Amino acid sequence: MRQIPFKPFGYEPVLTKEDIIPVKKKKGERAGDWQGVLKRIWHLVDEQRALLVTVLLLVFVSSALALIGPFLLGKIIDEYIVPGKFVGLQTMIYWLIGIYFFLSLTMFLQNYWMIGIAQQTIYRMRTNLFSHFQKLSVSFFDKRQHGELMSRVTNDIENVSATLNSSFIQVFSSILTLTGTVIVMLMLSPLLTLLTMTIIPIMFYSMRWITRRTGKLFKEQQQAVGDLNGMIEETISGQRIVKAFSQEDRVTDEFIVKSERLRRTGFWALTYSGFIPKVMNMLNNASFAIVAGVGGLLALYGHVTIGTIVIFSEYARQFTRPLNDLANQFNTVLSAIAGAERVFSIMDEEIEKDEATSEQNTVLKGKVEFDKVSFKYEQSDDDHTIRNVSFTLKPGETAALVGATGAGKTTIMQLLARFYETNEGQIRIDDIPIHELPRQTLRSQIAFVLQDPFLFEATVKDNIRYGRLNATDEEIMDAAKQANAHDFIEKLPEGYDTVLTADGGEISQGQKQLLSIARALVADPVILLLDEATSSIDTVTEMKIQEALERLMEGRTSFVIAHRLNTVRQADVVYVMDQGQLMESGSQQELITQKGLYYQMLNEAKV
Amino acid sequence: MKTVFSYVKPYKWPIAIALFLMLIELSVELIQPLIIAKIIDDGIMKGDVSVIWTWGGVMMLMAIIAFLSGATNSFFASHASQSFGFDVRTALFKQVQQFTVATFTKFPTAGLITRLTSDVTMVQNVLFMSLRIMLRAPLLVIGSVIMAFIVNAYLAIFLVIGAPFLIFFLYFMVKKGVSYFALVQVRLDRVNRVLQENLQAVRLVKAYLRGQFESSRFEKVSNLLKMDTVKALRVMEIILPLLLLVMNISLLAVLWFGASEIKTNNAQIGELVAIVNYALRMTGAFSMFSFIIMAIARAKASAERMEEVLLVNKGLERDEETGKMLGAAEGEISFHNVTFSYPNSPEPVLKNISFDVKSGEKLAIMGATGTGKSTLLQLIPRFFEASAGSVKVDGKDVRKWSLDQLRQAIGLVPQQSLLFTGSIYQNLAWGKIEASTEELQHAAKQAQIHTSIEQFAKGYDTRVGQKGVNLSGGQKQRLSIARALVRKPEILLLDDSTSALDVKTEAALWEALDKEEATMLVVTQKIRTAKGADRVLLLDNGEIAAYGSHEELLQTSDLYRQIAESQQEQEVSAHETDSI
Repeated sequence: MRQIPFKPFGYEPVLTKEDIIPVKKKKGERAGDWQGVLKRIWHLVDEQRALLVTVLLLVFVSSALALIGPFLLGKIIDEYIVPGKFVGLQTMIYWLIGIYFFLSLTMFLQNYWMIGIAQQTIYRMRTNLFSHFQKLSVSFFDKRQHGELMSRVTNDIENVSATLNSSFIQVFSSILTLTGTVIVMLMLSPLLTLLTMTIIPIMFYSMRWITRRTGKLFKEQQQAVGDLNGMIEETISGQRIVKAFSQEDRVTDEFIVKSERLRRTGFWALTYSGFIPKVMNMLNNASFAIVAGVGGLLALYGHVTIGTIVIFSEYARQFTRPLNDLANQFNTVLSAIAGAERVFSIMDEEIEKDEATSEQNTVLKGKVEFDKVSFKYEQSDDDHTIRNVSFTLKPGETAALVGATGAGKTTIMQLLARFYETNEGQIRIDDIPIHELPRQTLRSQIAFVLQDPFLFEATVKDNIRYGRLNATDEEIMDAAKQANAHDFIEKLPEGYDTVLTADGGEISQGQKQLLSIARALVADPVILLLDEATSSIDTVTEMKIQEALERLMEGRTSFVIAHRLNTVRQADVVYVMDQGQLMESGSQQELITQKGLYYQMLNEAKV
Repeated sequence: MKTVFSYVKPYKWPIAIALFLMLIELSVELIQPLIIAKIIDDGIMKGDVSVIWTWGGVMMLMAIIAFLSGATNSFFASHASQSFGFDVRTALFKQVQQFTVATFTKFPTAGLITRLTSDVTMVQNVLFMSLRIMLRAPLLVIGSVIMAFIVNAYLAIFLVIGAPFLIFFLYFMVKKGVSYFALVQVRLDRVNRVLQENLQAVRLVKAYLRGQFESSRFEKVSNLLKMDTVKALRVMEIILPLLLLVMNISLLAVLWFGASEIKTNNAQIGELVAIVNYALRMTGAFSMFSFIIMAIARAKASAERMEEVLLVNKGLERDEETGKMLGAAEGEISFHNVTFSYPNSPEPVLKNISFDVKSGEKLAIMGATGTGKSTLLQLIPRFFEASAGSVKVDGKDVRKWSLDQLRQAIGLVPQQSLLFTGSIYQNLAWGKIEASTEELQHAAKQAQIHTSIEQFAKGYDTRVGQKGVNLSGGQKQRLSIARALVRKPEILLLDDSTSALDVKTEAALWEALDKEEATMLVVTQKIRTAKGADRVLLLDNGEIAAYGSHEELLQTSDLYRQIAESQQEQEVSAHETDSI
């Protein structure tokens, strides 16, 4: 049998033999995954626990009311209708109306509040995850697809949400009803009850057989969802490339492969977890048969009465319903746990360390020192991107970084902003090693104009204001004017209040760069980092904003990456980089007289 | 175009089988009480042990049959729902691939992602549920009502007296639910959008220390999502208590009127007890109802959102004429009185543009930022269509070309080099999956990136992160150029794609590109590049300010001279310093 894999409808199996073998837990190891997950969710419920207790009380009350109703009903039939006694019937019915009314009311209230609690918990989970994103290092994001991470915040959390909404109350009330029924059954006939209970070990083992598979499968499924999400996000964001290269068909094929994987894992996850209620059902039916058969035999020898069997079988059926409910909830609970695990695994990612020792409010002057700095990107197997770079830049000076592409210029800036940590050596600002500065302090005094300008889906005004949140409208307009962006902004349909859309054609790349510069102008930093800030801007416009840039750089320590020699000429110092090493440094004049690498570059430029 | 639910059709057989199996299971459940009665009446009462054994055994057997059909149902139901989901997902994705660039602006990426994942899952789950448990409750209710009517029609009327009201109520709730849940999905789109922005702009957010700010922005959108989810779910929670209340009151009515019927001897006590029993069973099934209604509402809301995409008809890329061209394109491009404005803005970006580029020629396009240079390029592969006038390739209007053939002839290098997750090798072969290693390396050499790639420890197998995060700006640009060259295009569109290159590399690149026979349209800021072109098209405010060779323009155009001077200066200065 092992030789021929079981492939219903052509679905390849997902689980391997190793997956199913239980992992032996070592001593001191963390408790089972789901226990940890539940504990953490419980933690998120937080101050709502009091309300949750109220909900549980309400479940208790409604379960009781739900039991009293039929009880009174039986009483009415036995004591009033059967003997034909109609006096007092009306009162009893009034009582029942009251009970039913309260039953509905408590049910409504418990659900009403539970939804509030569940969604608040979900909200907290989501925002916690997002805040955690904010604390993660840049290299964490370098390694992952956006869509995959997005899937955790939406699809995975949605799974948890679905469970918290309904399953919690269901599970609790099922347990209550179950306990109640078992007690009544015990009172009726301990022997029959014990017989009914013989199904419990079988139930336990079959559940274990199933959950051992579904646990893995649901995790696989959520991974497949994340993977697919990642692919969708990337292709749709890069749709123009897909179109330009007319690769729609190939992309679709790729999509189908990923989608197929989701279908396959989904199929197995659903099929296996779909066994749960069926197993429960069978065991219940079996217990029914046991009661009838064995009970019948016992009755024959006078150990139990027929009445007991009738009532008992009715109760055994009652025993079925909550168990069935519980079993049906199992699917959602399982996929919720898989989802929650993926969320928590991100929350367990180490955040950017901040072992700052210096004060929060340190005001920097802007002396920048690189001391034998070496750096290598985490995910690359290559040599160091930065090798043994040392230099000192005095406050207020401007340094131009020049060198071939891939020489490590951008990396120098990213290290200074502490997006990445150096592997060797030290970067110091005002003689304080930057890892001793709180990130807050460091970054609040740096303005970084990045190579790829990014605009948010927000108004032009808010996009500029991003540099300094308390900037006034005048300041924003002023910055826009200096960055030569004012004119085109005015021409937009709603001027500064125009909402920029993600991929809208209304703004050109060069204009995006102008807005990024305006954003930096508003920020008013001590250290300014301009990484190809004007690369997509035409030279005439560039000349116009050059003055603004110069004014911006005045009195601030600035690093500039530019290929246009014009910009380089303004710098106090030129750092010439080659393959991660600092080859030459000095003023432009000095470098030219040295006739080194820079001189060579200049000569080539003229060709 | 098909609606979402029509995608169920191919699975009618698995669905029918699943439903049939469910019915077997259900009937076992219903038959069991009868067997118990048999055991009591024929077995215990008559003291016949063999009857007890036989029927006890039959019950066991039935339990096993029920289990087997239930377990088999699991396969069919999973297959039908997963395959349905798969088909809908594929259909959505294919449809999205056909969207025009303009249609994409109507459907933000985040919204499309939610539709392809969350919405599909929603509908898929409902299908699965309905094949497993959903029908049970309605069947149970209908069965009970019929039995009640058989027992005593007069009393049964009280049982269903609330039904019209309930049906209307449920209908109303579904309608309400659909609009509420649709809003929830829209909120989810927003959450997705903020997330996506933050992932794309990690560095910006960090550089400007906006972590807190973004968190509060995210809190705002998640809070809206929370509020609307709560609202939608709470509205749905009215259903069950109300249903129960109506049902229970009807039950009491049955009791009350039943009592008087018994008094007048119009009904038997047994009948009353039976009807009360059926009523109790119905109440039991009702707990499923609120769940079902909610599921239907949610699925309907999601289905409608998917249909928004599936039913897009006008914003699709279509070939007007499928008449295929013979042989490869020549690469002639001509613009004739082209005016263009973006869908949502009245102001035209390009006004009355006319020019011709012969096969193998190189045209440089210059002009201030925002003057329509990139837009002009985008009209050639028909990302957008001219509002007036015509864009022709090889003398044939681009609208008359088959899109595939047209774009096959074009190598586009966009301004922002968009690379994809995968190896460098995969990224280069992106536009021509069947390209040989030699072809790829040749293109990489032309784009001056081969040596850099060779220097990576893993060479061409080096992994590129999303959007090429782990590469430098210049490396990304050169990879993007190589990717276009691999296709050996007849027309090469370079949109300011050498801005991050150093002078030496750029010169080598142009030298290599000039050996290509392709017609080239090059958007550039650099006079030096313009000098190397056959002609220069100078745009100002969407209009042609000057058109001619570099030398001609130096003579005739003030604007061109101004640009030239802005760059002359640096060369002169380099000269000056050189002579020191």
